Amino acid sequence: MAATDRPDGEASAGRLPVTLFGTCLGDLMTPDTVADASRVLTACGCDVAAPRGATCCGQPAFNSGFDDAARRVARRTLRALARTAGPVVVPSGSCGAMMRLHWRELFRGDRDEAAARAVSARVVEWSAFVAERELPPLAWSGRVGYHDACHGLRELRVRDAPRTLLAAVAGLELVEIGSAERCCGFGGSFAVRYPDVSVAMADSKLADVAAAAVDVLVSGDGGCLLHLGGRLSRTGSPVRTLHLASLLAEALP
Amino acid sequence: MSGDHLTGTTFEGRAAEQLAKPFQRKAIPAAVDGTVAHSRALFATGDRERLRELGRDIRAHAVANLPEYVAAFTDAAEANGTRVHFAGDATEANAIVAGICRDAGAQLIVKSKSMLTEEIELNPALEAAGFEVVETDLGEYVVQIANDRPSHIIGPIIHKTRGEVRELFSAIAGRDLGDDPRALTAFAREQLRDVFLRADVGITGGNFAVAESGSVVLVTNEGNARLATSLPRVHIALVGVERLLPRTADLSVLIPLLVASGTGQQLTTYLSIASGPRREGEPDGPDEMHVVLVDGGRSAILGTGYQDILNCIRCGACQNVCPVYRQVGGHAYGWVYGGPIGAVLTPLFKPSAEGLEVAHASSLCAACDDVCPVKIPLHDLLVDLRRDRVGRRIPGRFERLAYGAWSRAWSSPLLYRLSGRVGIASLRLLARGGVVRRGLGPLRRWTRDRDLLLPGRRRR
Amino acid sequence: MERDAFIARLAAARPGPPLPDVSSLPAVHTELRPGDELYARFVHELTAVNGTCELRPAAAVSAAVVAALGDARRVALGADLGDHQAPVEGALAAAGIAAIAYEEAVADRAVLGALEATVTGCALAVAATGSIVISAAAGRAAALIAPLHVCVVPAEHLVGGLAEALRILPPGSLTAFQSGPSRTADIEKVLILGMHGPGATHVIVAT
Repeated sequence: MAATDRPDGEASAGRLPVTLFGTCLGDLMTPDTVADASRVLTACGCDVAAPRGATCCGQPAFNSGFDDAARRVARRTLRALARTAGPVVVPSGSCGAMMRLHWRELFRGDRDEAAARAVSARVVEWSAFVAERELPPLAWSGRVGYHDACHGLRELRVRDAPRTLLAAVAGLELVEIGSAERCCGFGGSFAVRYPDVSVAMADSKLADVAAAAVDVLVSGDGGCLLHLGGRLSRTGSPVRTLHLASLLAEALP
Repeated sequence: MSGDHLTGTTFEGRAAEQLAKPFQRKAIPAAVDGTVAHSRALFATGDRERLRELGRDIRAHAVANLPEYVAAFTDAAEANGTRVHFAGDATEANAIVAGICRDAGAQLIVKSKSMLTEEIELNPALEAAGFEVVETDLGEYVVQIANDRPSHIIGPIIHKTRGEVRELFSAIAGRDLGDDPRALTAFAREQLRDVFLRADVGITGGNFAVAESGSVVLVTNEGNARLATSLPRVHIALVGVERLLPRTADLSVLIPLLVASGTGQQLTTYLSIASGPRREGEPDGPDEMHVVLVDGGRSAILGTGYQDILNCIRCGACQNVCPVYRQVGGHAYGWVYGGPIGAVLTPLFKPSAEGLEVAHASSLCAACDDVCPVKIPLHDLLVDLRRDRVGRRIPGRFERLAYGAWSRAWSSPLLYRLSGRVGIASLRLLARGGVVRRGLGPLRRWTRDRDLLLPGRRRR
Repeated sequence: MERDAFIARLAAARPGPPLPDVSSLPAVHTELRPGDELYARFVHELTAVNGTCELRPAAAVSAAVVAALGDARRVALGADLGDHQAPVEGALAAAGIAAIAYEEAVADRAVLGALEATVTGCALAVAATGSIVISAAAGRAAALIAPLHVCVVPAEHLVGGLAEALRILPPGSLTAFQSGPSRTADIEKVLILGMHGPGATHVIVAT
């Protein structure tokens, strides 16, 4: 893990205050995952707070070229986060990368530029954060494959943290999927702009998942899981999808 | 057949056509996975990052200083006895080549693979001028006979089965050649060898042009470029003006980057450095060498935010790792280049609404950034192109209104919460057991082949 | 268009980085690795690309050439064999192979097209890439016009890597690196040797 991704501002004693930004997709589509992410953070000694008034990081618009729309939405979230303390932990590599890397660009020359820089520097991807903390003994039984979400992997360089976390779970058998690092085809608006291509990409990935014969497909990004889970559901596959945070929450004592 | 296939079509439509080809969807990964693995293994034996930084800096330096290096190249090439021509656009490039062929009294022209000549549509132009042009790279030969287009920078016919090649070649042979690639290749060799021995002009591209020596550098595996520069009376090399390198020594960085990224080889079988026509005492070689430096839209990119794309050395590595390219192949991109490099170049060279749309033919997974041997930030350039597309008000009314309304609602925590609740509640009306199988409106595009799993309904 | 007008259009570029020094390279597969022995690395790389290679004392080179030619009878000989020129010509004649000079073969396209083998020397050979480097002085197409190419490499012509070879390129209108036989994998990725150039490349390193 890069040194810059390490949380700072550790409290001298007691619990570490952290801000958990659940992301819009998490808030609206998978609130359970956000709750699970919070539970795990609490279990590793954090004092978790949700930012009041935060909405979305603006990525869908940013990636489609609608910077004004992206800035307008991101500003709301940025200002909400600027009022919080401690690391901003994000259970999505994609939103994390938007906030950590692209907000500086989006707010360049803007009145909120300084705030964007300050908040960006506090952003940490959830698994990278948790992997640096002490967790209680974890136990969970099953055969698990991990799918690397693209932006967490290639923009935030989070590769080992989720694998380290999964490997620490007693009873869990971690299987490397052949194309773990290849995009699943979600890609935000790409998934609805070009649904045929997006689903073809999912099928290519899911063929490798089937070959790995896993019970559960885990990832660190809700978007990938919504897409892959939706395709697995449509094709009647018995493979479950689970956010890493949910799996670890289930594995807590 | 070349040219662009953008007008009146969409990426979605072109992709659907390609997705319906089951052979291609299996053939592309089968063809490129070996290259990717070999490439990775080769780079693992050295300091890949440092090498890429050197490659990027050499290319970026050359592209930023083209006036100096074009002048130096021209002087050095002319000192070698090469004639250098300057083509502002495709029409001019084609006219220059046709003029050289006419002056040489040529009839038969052999060509080795060149993406630039695909860009400028040289073959149809020469044919219209009355010349017979024969492509000599095996893949390009098949493409030419089939009146098709190459679908990959390095492997032009990775979309074709041996059965298709058998049909094409058997028709020429007048007998069934079977589908053993060995026999098919032998047939092509025999046909093309005869053409090489008779040809008046050999046309090649140029992987690089070296300013200090006035040389054109060619890498191939089959040996056709070498033959094309050896046997005909006239050699014409068409080189994109951005492909200049300052020094011969720069090849010690860029050749390993190009070859390992493009084919996964230590070195291609043939690496030729052509520095002019046959000299006194040399037993063979052309009487004339011409280099046509082609601008063709490149100078317009200089000085813009897209200048880095001119650092590209056309290795095809970004295509090989692109998850979109792997599904749809090169033709879906609608012009000469497929994959991430095509998604950037097509909007820049064909800036119509249809051309600009191609910037969206990427899930922005950034796999291309990681393999680019000269570290072009393809992912960022794609986002920049999408921004330009919005700036030019090309997205449809619906898309613009949707983002506008979305941004107004979600910049208010209250409206965000409200719209979320209303949204989820309406989805529940469509759902059975927490799963939406048939959405309405824009959601239909999600649920055509996927379910939408609603909150609280986790797949267990 | 005119040179000056063409160049003028290229002046709008954003400034770039300075040209980096490449006099010493980072570790790269086209250069020697620490501990590499020249000949061993050359054989390893050439064999990996389907070429064949043998090491022979100077006196045994002619016999090795004759053996490598096998049944080939329409043979052209480059003029770049140096000290081996006369002995090789003699050995071919003694073996009943009426070899002609490449210069003569190239003058008649029918003869050129019917060649079964060529024998050439080389200006350089590169250990790290398994390449032989032939200058146009020996004939541009000499190494690839026939199905078999036999190349005599004086051991002192062997250099370590691509960078060194590029520093001491032989003069001539074309410098040609060749690494193993001609190949293609265009049809369904099936590797086939001898597409346009030779299907077999045999290198005799003369000590």
